[in-house]
Amino acid sequence: MILGEVEAPIFQTAAFGYASAEEMADVFAGRAPGHVYTRLSNPTTLALERRLAAAENGVGALATSSGMAAIAVTALGLLRPGDEILTAKGIFGGSVSFFRNILGRLNIRAVFVDGSDTAQVAAAVTPKTRAIFVETIGNPGMDVPDLPALGALARERNLPLVVDSTVTTPELVKPGQHGAALVIHSTSKFINGHGIAIGGAVIDTGKFDWSRGPFEDIAALARRAGAYAFLAHLRTVIARDLGACPAPGSSFLMLHGLDTLPLRLKTHVENARALAQALSTDRRVLDVGYPGLPGSPYFERAQRLFGGRAGAILTLRVGSLAKAFAFINALKSARRAANLGETRTLVIHPASTIFREYAPADRLSLGVPDDLIRVSVGLEDSSAILTDFEQALTVAQKE
Amino acid sequence: MKLVVNGADVEVSDGINVTQLLVERRVKMPDMVSVELNETVLQRAEFETTRLREGDRVELLYFMGGGRGTDTV
Repeated sequence: MILGEVEAPIFQTAAFGYASAEEMADVFAGRAPGHVYTRLSNPTTLALERRLAAAENGVGALATSSGMAAIAVTALGLLRPGDEILTAKGIFGGSVSFFRNILGRLNIRAVFVDGSDTAQVAAAVTPKTRAIFVETIGNPGMDVPDLPALGALARERNLPLVVDSTVTTPELVKPGQHGAALVIHSTSKFINGHGIAIGGAVIDTGKFDWSRGPFEDIAALARRAGAYAFLAHLRTVIARDLGACPAPGSSFLMLHGLDTLPLRLKTHVENARALAQALSTDRRVLDVGYPGLPGSPYFERAQRLFGGRAGAILTLRVGSLAKAFAFINALKSARRAANLGETRTLVIHPASTIFREYAPADRLSLGVPDDLIRVSVGLEDSSAILTDFEQALTVAQKE
Repeated sequence: MKLVVNGADVEVSDGINVTQLLVERRVKMPDMVSVELNETVLQRAEFETTRLREGDRVELLYFMGGGRGTDTV
């Protein structure tokens, strides 16, 4: 705080000046605190990082320019050529693409497993495995990994469990409590909440002992940085050199989103539950993916992990690609858009958008059939959402 | 008592703990600092409970992105 301001100021500056060459040298050497350049750190972004770390009960956080940037710096911070990462199927298409294409180019192998089946994950661990990656609720797979069991497995094998909690946020679950070493967020989603900024973050929960992990460079850093070793590794090497920094104005918008997150999540989840229940009793809908439905194979786990609040993303299947398009086109108030976690209800057809680069059989193995529709349930009046979906289903039946 | 902080001799109050040292030395951004005491890095939870002694060598390190905080790793 500088002048008693209630809200964090936006430090809209590229660089930070110093009174002397000695002072600047001390900051560069880490002997004195200070911001140097917004690619490396920025006071507005630091305020966001402190809030996110506190929200996850973590030792610290690094904010990035996007959720994908958070995944990228985390993966590149952990993995070297020849390593393997075990990752759940049914996760965000952008993450699948990064793991396959970018890591693949670096001779780092992503091994896709059913993240909700801990025995399958355990069986896939090899001497080359360096990390386990899951989403709290697979998007769009809608599966829920058993975080405590995965946490125990990761601890037993001395591997960091990396959990993308974008769709749950710290409001619904704190993965560190279940053994996650690192928590990732696309802050563009529920944390921002209004669809007006792009950002991401990685939070170190302090649950992984970096001094004893299979990462020589991070273990060496742990001798000086302790529990902060991985974040120090990101800050001083990986993120610094990749340059995937957030804009200060975006960090400001994320901070504002955090202020109302609990209030918004409450309504998001209530609206999603109501829509999922209505769709699950509609004969025109073949299947509803929502772990908050008692019929979901992940219902009990979601109840246990998320305190009965299974998020605000759901999927539905309507029988054919043509019906899916007709349904989406007939929606009057829900928007056809790629984001999720905004105030408005958003729908997307994953097979022709996020997963379009994959062959049909490949998409099916990733849990994306052609008639699947993903819905991010917004904050509109619940009955208005139900009415909109009801009339769109009627239109879709004509296909 | 005398300590060596970041290589410099400094005089501080007798028997203070690490948290008190950060306050007394007016260390900026105390929540961002890593503290190494006699070449052993302290956990943050240990700041309150770690009492300093005459002649202790304390390194205050920041990993904010300018550099690596140390030339040895």
